[in-house]
Amino acid sequence: MIDQATIEGIIRILLVCIIITAAYIISTRNLLSVVSVYSLQSLTLVGIALALWSLEGSIILLAIAVVTFVSKVIIIPYFIATIQEKIRIKRDIEFHYLNPTTSLILSMALMLVIYMALSRIMQGTPARESLFFFGAVLGISLMLMGMMVTFSRKRTITKVLGFLSMENGVLLFGMFVTELPFIIEFLIIIDLIILVILTTILSVGIDSTLEDYHKRLHRFHLLEESEETP
Amino acid sequence: MILIAFVLVSVLALIIIAATHNHRQMNTACIMQALIFAALAAYLVLFQQVPVVSFLVGSQYFFIDHLGLFEVLIATVIFACAAVYARGYVEGLLESGELEKGSLKLFYMAWALLLLVIVLAFFSDNLALFWIFAELTTIISAMLIAILAARDNIDAAIKYIFVASVSMLFAFVGFIFLFEISRVSLGTGTLNWTVLMQHAAVFSPGMMIASFVLVFIGFAAKSGIFPFHTWLPEAHAKAPSAVSAILSGVLLNVGIYGIIRVYAIVHQTTAISTIAPMLAGFGLLTIGIAAFSMLPQKNLKKLVAFSSVENMGIMLVGLAISTPVALFWVLFHIMAHSLTKASLFFSSGILHRQYRSRFSADAADEIVDVFRLQPLAAWGIILGGLAIIGMPPFPIFFSEFFIMLQLGTVSLWALGVMLVLLFIAAGGLGYFVLTTFTHVSEPVTPSDIEPYRTPASMKVPIIFLLALLLVIGIVLPAGGMEFLNQIVTELKF
Repeated sequence: MIDQATIEGIIRILLVCIIITAAYIISTRNLLSVVSVYSLQSLTLVGIALALWSLEGSIILLAIAVVTFVSKVIIIPYFIATIQEKIRIKRDIEFHYLNPTTSLILSMALMLVIYMALSRIMQGTPARESLFFFGAVLGISLMLMGMMVTFSRKRTITKVLGFLSMENGVLLFGMFVTELPFIIEFLIIIDLIILVILTTILSVGIDSTLEDYHKRLHRFHLLEESEETP
Repeated sequence: MILIAFVLVSVLALIIIAATHNHRQMNTACIMQALIFAALAAYLVLFQQVPVVSFLVGSQYFFIDHLGLFEVLIATVIFACAAVYARGYVEGLLESGELEKGSLKLFYMAWALLLLVIVLAFFSDNLALFWIFAELTTIISAMLIAILAARDNIDAAIKYIFVASVSMLFAFVGFIFLFEISRVSLGTGTLNWTVLMQHAAVFSPGMMIASFVLVFIGFAAKSGIFPFHTWLPEAHAKAPSAVSAILSGVLLNVGIYGIIRVYAIVHQTTAISTIAPMLAGFGLLTIGIAAFSMLPQKNLKKLVAFSSVENMGIMLVGLAISTPVALFWVLFHIMAHSLTKASLFFSSGILHRQYRSRFSADAADEIVDVFRLQPLAAWGIILGGLAIIGMPPFPIFFSEFFIMLQLGTVSLWALGVMLVLLFIAAGGLGYFVLTTFTHVSEPVTPSDIEPYRTPASMKVPIIFLLALLLVIGIVLPAGGMEFLNQIVTELKF
């Protein structure tokens, strides 16, 4: 058995990795690599869950690791990559409101604010080990960084990835702060999968330049509008 | 057993819809589902000891109390009316080619599933379970909006999904906080509302504030409260009118319901002194934004949608007063608003079929000769409009009146602001009706608009709902009042 200090060290390193992936998702313009980075982020999450499991021995953490691995490392990224090939968009270079640099600076500021807010809120609760507090702060930060992606990108498919990354943040936060019943974690994954399927299918309608979609617009006499927003 | 009955009926409806290719049969399945649901809920109210304890119900996952039943009753009535309305309305969509025949099955399956999920959400004791069902309602109803497959609709649906789901994740973090709060004070963590209510008094107020604020973000987005209301007007205006009625009459209630449940927990801690002013502030802001957006509005469905935002604000203000009387009238307002708003969307759906401009759903409605072409819808809008701005004898008059009376005891300033804003909102609605409904073409050359032959199934729900509202407003049934009182007691106000 590896001793506790080593595991805690590993967890710290993995947490830093998560933040790096989040920063990458905010700043990159290449869609395919966003998907693989998301997959990597989920994998890191699996690693953290496993490390926590070896620390605490709670079987729920192991279950979370397995479910996360199957759904978020394999199924969802695969599904999104397939859709992406279909709509033939490789790059997402349009941003609303925020460009990557400002987003990055903003997320650093956010992390600071969250750190201060959480340390105030958690003051009253039983002494939090520094590692768990650190995890909670990064969980919320990841969530807000994901939110920035969701609202600053124009393509629906990148928005979905931002949302997914947000959800990873929630999972991270949940893992460090408390032990939720497994059934809840599981149901959230189901919810996530449905949401991803629906939004990506809809995004085929919005993002694609497929002939088929134009035909539809013709039928509704809506083509004039579609030319304004190609 | 009763929950299984609900699920079984829905499964049956889904099977019928999947098996048939006939629009009428699918529609009948949905009408029957809603009616049976309503009958089951009525049975529970009349013949069962509430809170009900039976298989699965009363366990740690589900429970049936008065508030849940109340919401389910509203939901089933609206769903039944909307399903009847959809019979004629969807037929029209099919004829004009706006809805593809292939999407029909998906539409009705999503419809039946939505009702089931909403009922399960209202009967969830576990808050996390409730959260998941509420999330599912967002996703399924977004499908119903996107079903028309016009670019506008997909845009609106995607905006709805993202604004609502992103905010709902915040609510989930709020629930994680709540779980941790209960673990700290009770030893074992729980998200069961009934357990939380029993022990709420010992929860630490500081954590409670953080938890409530996060939960509020989520459910405020779900119920269209400022500043998370941005998805609402678009989604409501672009959706097929039968769906708009459900969105406004039932789905917004899911959000308010969530807020009420968690607020009831907060109400027992000292955190209430921080939370209540916050709610009142957001409520007034919501009313204000809605009122000023209604004023210049030229599109009828958007106007009605903004009026929903306004009413959510009123409920929030009523909740913030946090006296038993105010809560009572907030509950009454939820019911009155749902019924009124559904009838308004039904009427504007008829006008939309008659005058819709094919080029953009945002364009101003070009309404002419409305009393000659669509007399019922015109009167539906006028009467429904009077009802929604709170004219007696319609029920909203009573709820708004008493909420404002209670508000006056807390702060006269807030009362003044709210009164002015309500007048502005009413003015916006009145102005729209006055300017558009008086357009009459020259008597010598009657306009060449073909009257839209409104099927009877689209007229019946409007008449039914308006009649129901009048009856409730004039009689104020004592049994119903008693029922609401029991909810207030259960929420420990």
